[in-house]
Amino acid sequence: MQVIENLNVKEKLYVEKLDNGLTVMVIPKKGIRKKYVIWATHYGSIYNKFIIPGEKEVTEVPDGVAHFLEHKMFEQKNGTNSLDTLTALGVNANAYTTTNHTAYLFEATDNFYPALDELMDYVQNPYFTDENVEKEKGIIGQEINMYDDYPEWAVYMNAIRCMYKNNPIKIDIAGTVESISKIDKDVLYKCYNTFYNPSNMVMCFSGDFEPEKLIEEVKKRLIKKPEQGTIKRMFEEEPKEIVKKKAEVSMEVSMPLFVIGIKDENLAQTSAIDKKDYIIKKHIAIEILLNMIIGKSSKLYKELYENELLNSEPYLEYEFEENYAHIAITGVSKEPETILNKINEEIERIKKEGIEKEHFERIKNMLYGTAVKEFNNVSDIVRMFVSDYFKGINSFDYLENYEQIKPEFAMQILNDVFDKNKTVISIVKNK
Amino acid sequence: MSYTNKEIKQGIKLHFIETNKFKTNLMAVFITLPLNRKTVTFNSLLPAVLKRGTATIKTQEEISEKLENMYGASFDCGIEKIGDNHVLKFYLEALNDKFIPKNINKDLFKESIELLLETILNPLTEKSGFKKEYVEAEKNNIKLLVESKIDNKDQYSFNRCIEEMYKDKPYGLYKYGYVEDLSKIDEINLYKYYLEVINTGKIDIFVSGELEEKNVEKIITNNQNIRKLKEREFKNLQSNTLQENKEENVVQEKMDISQGKLVLGLDVLEGDCNKKFAVSLYNVILGESATSKLFQNVREKASLAYTARSNYIKQKNNIYIRCGIEIDNYEKALKIIREQLDEMKQGKFTEEDLENGKKYIISGIQSIQDEQDSEIIYYIGQELSEKQISFEEYIEKINKVTMEDVKDVANKININTIYFLRN
Repeated sequence: MQVIENLNVKEKLYVEKLDNGLTVMVIPKKGIRKKYVIWATHYGSIYNKFIIPGEKEVTEVPDGVAHFLEHKMFEQKNGTNSLDTLTALGVNANAYTTTNHTAYLFEATDNFYPALDELMDYVQNPYFTDENVEKEKGIIGQEINMYDDYPEWAVYMNAIRCMYKNNPIKIDIAGTVESISKIDKDVLYKCYNTFYNPSNMVMCFSGDFEPEKLIEEVKKRLIKKPEQGTIKRMFEEEPKEIVKKKAEVSMEVSMPLFVIGIKDENLAQTSAIDKKDYIIKKHIAIEILLNMIIGKSSKLYKELYENELLNSEPYLEYEFEENYAHIAITGVSKEPETILNKINEEIERIKKEGIEKEHFERIKNMLYGTAVKEFNNVSDIVRMFVSDYFKGINSFDYLENYEQIKPEFAMQILNDVFDKNKTVISIVKNK
Repeated sequence: MSYTNKEIKQGIKLHFIETNKFKTNLMAVFITLPLNRKTVTFNSLLPAVLKRGTATIKTQEEISEKLENMYGASFDCGIEKIGDNHVLKFYLEALNDKFIPKNINKDLFKESIELLLETILNPLTEKSGFKKEYVEAEKNNIKLLVESKIDNKDQYSFNRCIEEMYKDKPYGLYKYGYVEDLSKIDEINLYKYYLEVINTGKIDIFVSGELEEKNVEKIITNNQNIRKLKEREFKNLQSNTLQENKEENVVQEKMDISQGKLVLGLDVLEGDCNKKFAVSLYNVILGESATSKLFQNVREKASLAYTARSNYIKQKNNIYIRCGIEIDNYEKALKIIREQLDEMKQGKFTEEDLENGKKYIISGIQSIQDEQDSEIIYYIGQELSEKQISFEEYIEKINKVTMEDVKDVANKININTIYFLRN
C-alpha cells in the first residue's frame, strides 16, 4: 500500500491497487463520526461509442445509458431495492452520474460494514428485466422534465453546444425522453459488463478508518470477475474552433442568466511533456486569472456592481477531462452582452499592461485557503478525490502547487487560453 | 468537543463550540427580531447594506481584499424565518492558524471576529444615516432578489403554499420582503431602524473551532464594538399557536413550465412539545426517506415522479409534501398521497418502518457535529425554542417513540392547503 502524506492539510492518503485492478483510496479522519464511501466507475454520459475488449466492431449505444444504469443498479433479483435496504440500515445512500463517471455512495454513522455489504452486493449484481426497465422510463422522464424547467441547466448546456461540435459532452447526461425509449435490458447488460469491471473502477473512503483493515474488508466482499483488457473509447475529433458565438432562448426567469464559455485545447491535444503537472498548474493559473478579471475584489466587478449590471459575483470555473476543456463564467445580469464585452476588454487590458503582482499573490492566497477548506468534510474529500482520480490527478497535488505558480506562467496561460475567437455566450432571457 | 454558552450582557450571548475536527474556525452572529409586515423589508435590507462597508473599511472591494489576504476567509450574510422570528445572520469562516503557511505570523481568529463584529456593529454612516449610495443600490438588489422568487419553481411553489396557509399572518410573509415597501425606505429611516435593532434585538454570537475558550471570551468581551452595546430585553415570539381545523384550501396557479409542482401543506394539530418526536417519525415514515410511503408509492410503484418527499417544520407545526409531476397526473398523484395519509391514520405502517425511521433520524443527529455550520444551526434553533436538549437526550426521546404514538399524531394531522403550479 502506498501512503502519501500532505503537510499543508495534515492528512494522509492510502492507495492500493488490488489484484483484480480495483483501486482503493482511504483518507482517514480521526474522531469524525461520519463515514463516507464512493464506489465509482469510469463510465459517464460521454462514452456512448466504444470497442468492447476482445471485439473489433464499435458498439454505439443510445444517449443516457450510464445514467439509466445508475437508476437500475439498485434493483435486486429477490425483489428488494438496495436503496431501501441501505435506508433501513440508517445510512444515507445515493448515486450520481457525471460526464465521465458514475458514483454509488453512502454516508453512515452506524452499521458501516452491513451497509458496505449491501453496496458491494448491488454494484456487483445487476438485475434488469423488461418490466423494471420500462418502469424506470417514467421516473427518468420526470427527471428530464425537471431539468427542462431549470434555467441554469438550459443556459449551461447551450453554452456547451456553442463550444463543442462533436464531443458528447453536448448531450444531456440523462439523455432525452426519445433516446431513453430505445434503452432495453440487453443494452444495459452490455454496458454494465463492459464498464463495471473492477479495473475500470475506484473505491474511495473517508472517516475514522484503519486503512489496512478496511482494505481487507473490501477484498472479502469482491466477486471474482474475468480480467478485462482496455476499453477503447471512441471520440470524433473535436475541432479547436467553436461552433457558434452565441445562443439565446427565453424562459420564465426574472432576469437573464448567462454563461460565458471559453473553449480550450483538451488534454489529448496539449503538447506539454508532463501533462498531469501542466494541467494542475494551468488549472490554478486559470482560477487566479478569472478571479483577477472578474472576482469579488476586482475593479471590473466593482464597476459592474455599481452600475447595477451584476448584483452578485459570477461563478468561475475551469472544467476539463481527457477530451474536453473550457472556462465557464456563470451569472445573472440585465445586460449579459455588456458583461461579455467588459470581460473581453479587461482581458485585453491585462494582456497589454501585465499582471499586478500584489493582486496576483492575494488571489493565490485566497485560493489556497479555499482549497484547504475542502478538507473539512468527509463527503467533500471523497467526491474531490474521485473526480480528480478520473482526470489522473491526486487532489493533494493542488495544495503543493499554489506556491509555485508565478505571474509569468499565468501571463502565458492568459495569452494562450483567453482567446476572443474561442469565446461564446449563452443567454436565457426573460419572457 | 464541548459546547458552552454564557450571557455576556443581558440579551447578548456568547456560544462556544470547541472542536478539533476542522481546518477552519467558524464565527456567526444572529440578531433575532420579531417577524412582521411593517419591518420585514427593513430587515431584509439591513445585512445587504451592512456588507457594503464599515466606518473603517469603507468599501466592499476593500472588505473583499482583506478577506482574500486572510487566506480566503469568507463572509456571508442573510436572513431567515425561524418560526415567527426574523433572524439576521452573519458568518465568517477562516482557516485555523494551524493551517496557514508556516512563515506567516497572523492571529486569524482575532482578525476574523473583529472584522465580523465591525461589519455588523460599526457601519459606514454619513450625516445621520447610512451612505445613501449603498442604500439605493441595495434597495435595487433586494427588488431583484424578490422578483427572482419565480426562478426556482420548486422553492416558489413551496413559498406560495406557505403564503396561502398563513395569509395575513407573520409566518406567511416572504423573508426577503416586498418591492412596494422599498420606495418608503431611505438611508435615514433605515439607519434609525438599525439603531433600534442593535439596541433591542437578541444577539447570539457563535464561535466554533480549535480555540481556547478563555481567549475567545477575552477577545470578544474586550472588543470595542461589543463594549458599546447596551443590555436589552427581548421578548421571544413563541408562536406555537396551532392552526384551526378547517376546510382544505385548493390553489392552482399557471406558469410556462413543463413539469407541474404539487405542494400539500399539512397542519399538525398537537400542541404538546413532547409529541414533536413522534411527529418527526411520522414525517420520516410518510415522506422523508427513500423507504417512505411517498417515495415508494408515488415514485417507485406509480412511476409518477422523480421527487416525492415531505419535510417537517417543527416551529410552526407543519408538514409539507412536495412532488414534481406530469400536469395531467395531478388527480392520480393526489389520490395516492391521500391514501398514504389515510394509511398513517389507520396505523398501517410496520415496526420496521418505525425502526428505520429512528435510525434515519439518529444518524442525522449523530452527524450534526461533523459539520461546523450544522452544529451552529442546531444550537441557535435550541436557543430560540428556549429548550435545551443534548444530542444524547434527543436520541433517547426518539428511541422512546412507539407505534401508538405515531398513529396518535397521525390522527391529528390534516391537509390545510393543496397548491399546484401548472401550465
